[in-house]
Amino acid sequence: MAADVKPFIGSKASPHQESEAEELRKEHLMLDPMPRDEMNQMVMEAMTTTTRKWWAWVIGLGLAVAVLLFGAWGYMIATGMGVAGIRRPVFWGIFIVTFVFWIGISHAGTFVSAILRVFKAEFRRPFTRAAELMTTFGLAAGALYPLIHLGRVWVFYWMVPYPNARWLWPNFRSALVWDFLAITTYLLSSTIYLFLPLIPDMAMARDRSSGWRHFIYKLLALGWRGTEAEWFRLRKAISIFAYAIIPVMFSVHTIVSWDFAVSTVSGWQSSIFGPYFIIGAILSGVSAVVTILYILRSTMKNMDYFIRKEHFDALGKLILVFSMAWAYFFFNEYILSWYGGDAAVKQVLTLHATGPSAWVWYTMLICNVAIPWLFLWNKKVRRTPWLMFIITLLVNVGMYAERYTIIPLTLGHQRNPFDWGIYNPTIIEVSIALGTLCLFIFLYLIASRFIPLVPVWEVQEGQMSHTLRKVGKTEIPSVTELE
Amino acid sequence: METNVRMILFKEDQIDQASDAIETLHHHGISDKDISVISGVPFSEKILGRPMSWTRVPQIAVAGALFGFIIAMLLNFLVPNLYKLSVGGMPLTPIPTSIVVTFELTMLGLLISTFLGVFIEMLSPSFGPKGYHPKISDGYIGILFNCPTHADEDTCFELQDLGAEIVDLAEVKQP
Repeated sequence: MAADVKPFIGSKASPHQESEAEELRKEHLMLDPMPRDEMNQMVMEAMTTTTRKWWAWVIGLGLAVAVLLFGAWGYMIATGMGVAGIRRPVFWGIFIVTFVFWIGISHAGTFVSAILRVFKAEFRRPFTRAAELMTTFGLAAGALYPLIHLGRVWVFYWMVPYPNARWLWPNFRSALVWDFLAITTYLLSSTIYLFLPLIPDMAMARDRSSGWRHFIYKLLALGWRGTEAEWFRLRKAISIFAYAIIPVMFSVHTIVSWDFAVSTVSGWQSSIFGPYFIIGAILSGVSAVVTILYILRSTMKNMDYFIRKEHFDALGKLILVFSMAWAYFFFNEYILSWYGGDAAVKQVLTLHATGPSAWVWYTMLICNVAIPWLFLWNKKVRRTPWLMFIITLLVNVGMYAERYTIIPLTLGHQRNPFDWGIYNPTIIEVSIALGTLCLFIFLYLIASRFIPLVPVWEVQEGQMSHTLRKVGKTEIPSVTELE
Repeated sequence: METNVRMILFKEDQIDQASDAIETLHHHGISDKDISVISGVPFSEKILGRPMSWTRVPQIAVAGALFGFIIAMLLNFLVPNLYKLSVGGMPLTPIPTSIVVTFELTMLGLLISTFLGVFIEMLSPSFGPKGYHPKISDGYIGILFNCPTHADEDTCFELQDLGAEIVDLAEVKQP
């Protein structure tokens, strides 16, 4: 069943055909099968190897989280919201910008894992889990912000709709409670969606570990043996999830966009904000997947077998397409607002392009449009992992700039000129934002040593369904449906 | 009739031989309910010539979605009427904003119950011979069967001819 190259019928394969087949094997993971026990061994080795450098990163990031995130947040709680730079007229600053950014990043897992699964894009197989982990940790980082932004975080439960003695009846149909519901739903479902395909790999880890690791994997493998019934129900559940989580993903960022669009702020009230935000989120999420894949490939043992140039190439094409789609939505939103002729909206648009913070607006356009369009059409660039790392990092800088443009730069210049102002983030806000970045990397680093980052069974399943098939004078990769 | 639980293993690329082995067991009068197939990758029942498995996960998922929908309806329409807070010119139970809450809670119900369905079915007792071998997660295909004691030897010989690796009874264990 494994991929093999069959010689021409009635004649031996020529050296040219042999070398072509060898090239194809080098190129495609699915055509380069390895015995399952060796793949298991490679994944386990990657998971259990902890170098001094790794420990140094863990300790450094742990300290950074403690100081930058919890230290700064604690200081803000003790001192009051005045230590943040948000004040009239800009009440939404870096906290909300970073919140939207993380929710955007979290779209990566669902897009890569669910949408590519539904469309049977085979290249997804080795990195679905790495992307799903990004979703879970991105959401965990993002979900902190409504609490941070709340100020008096100890009374967050006032949002929960239950009869109370305070003569308050929180309206859970308000746009902010939609956020709470959408993020909770997405966080829970993406965590479960991460866990379900993990069960067979937990069983694999259980069979190859001892001590406390064995105990934990045994618990998490839920007694998995791999019976027909177990596989059947697992596939059914994954399939239900893959279809159901897509609309949930769309709803999350749409609802985040409605936080802005339901208001009467000039520059925010736009019916296209939902899809515009979603495209931006997918662009940012898929780019972050490439960034993470590069880091995993360069720092973890054996990852170069699983993550190959073909994967960077395929994701590079996706980023190019989403960059074009983002540009389309951006232009659509821009031209209609501009053509509408509303003086306040025009003022905001002019300010974005010519005001004191215009560099943010140009950074957004350069990083989200110019860089991907200039470089990603080129196959050589898409197949050079370190270049892809830089490009995708820049795309996320651009996406952060986009959110910064939409939020504080727009809020500072509304309808009343006497109420204009410039937002200057304080060190506390910047520290908290950096703290959540450290938290994300910290969680990912820890998880990389507990969770098999490559779904081995999915890779093997893919390798079993791929073969080289002779068509005419050459042999081409072909896929068989085993389901 | 006295029976032994037997386990045979095939390598990952011996799927054809594994399906032949199941046919051989059928010829020896061992029915499907006395056979379990375990593997490190999913193979459809059709590939191995086995009866279709069943699961209640989709039904549990639908029930969960319904539950979520009902909760959403109660929150949207019952609660505001129980604790009235009228705001001038605003409806007490507006439908457009309720749609968002309804969607999220319905999906939440659907997704959580799908997981619970898998969880419950995994932990529920299953039929058929039970056993496990760590080689399964190395990609091997394992066939467990209840073999009548008198036919044990003949069956094993035939299966070995197909390339099966017979697992010693002492090695057949629970995960």
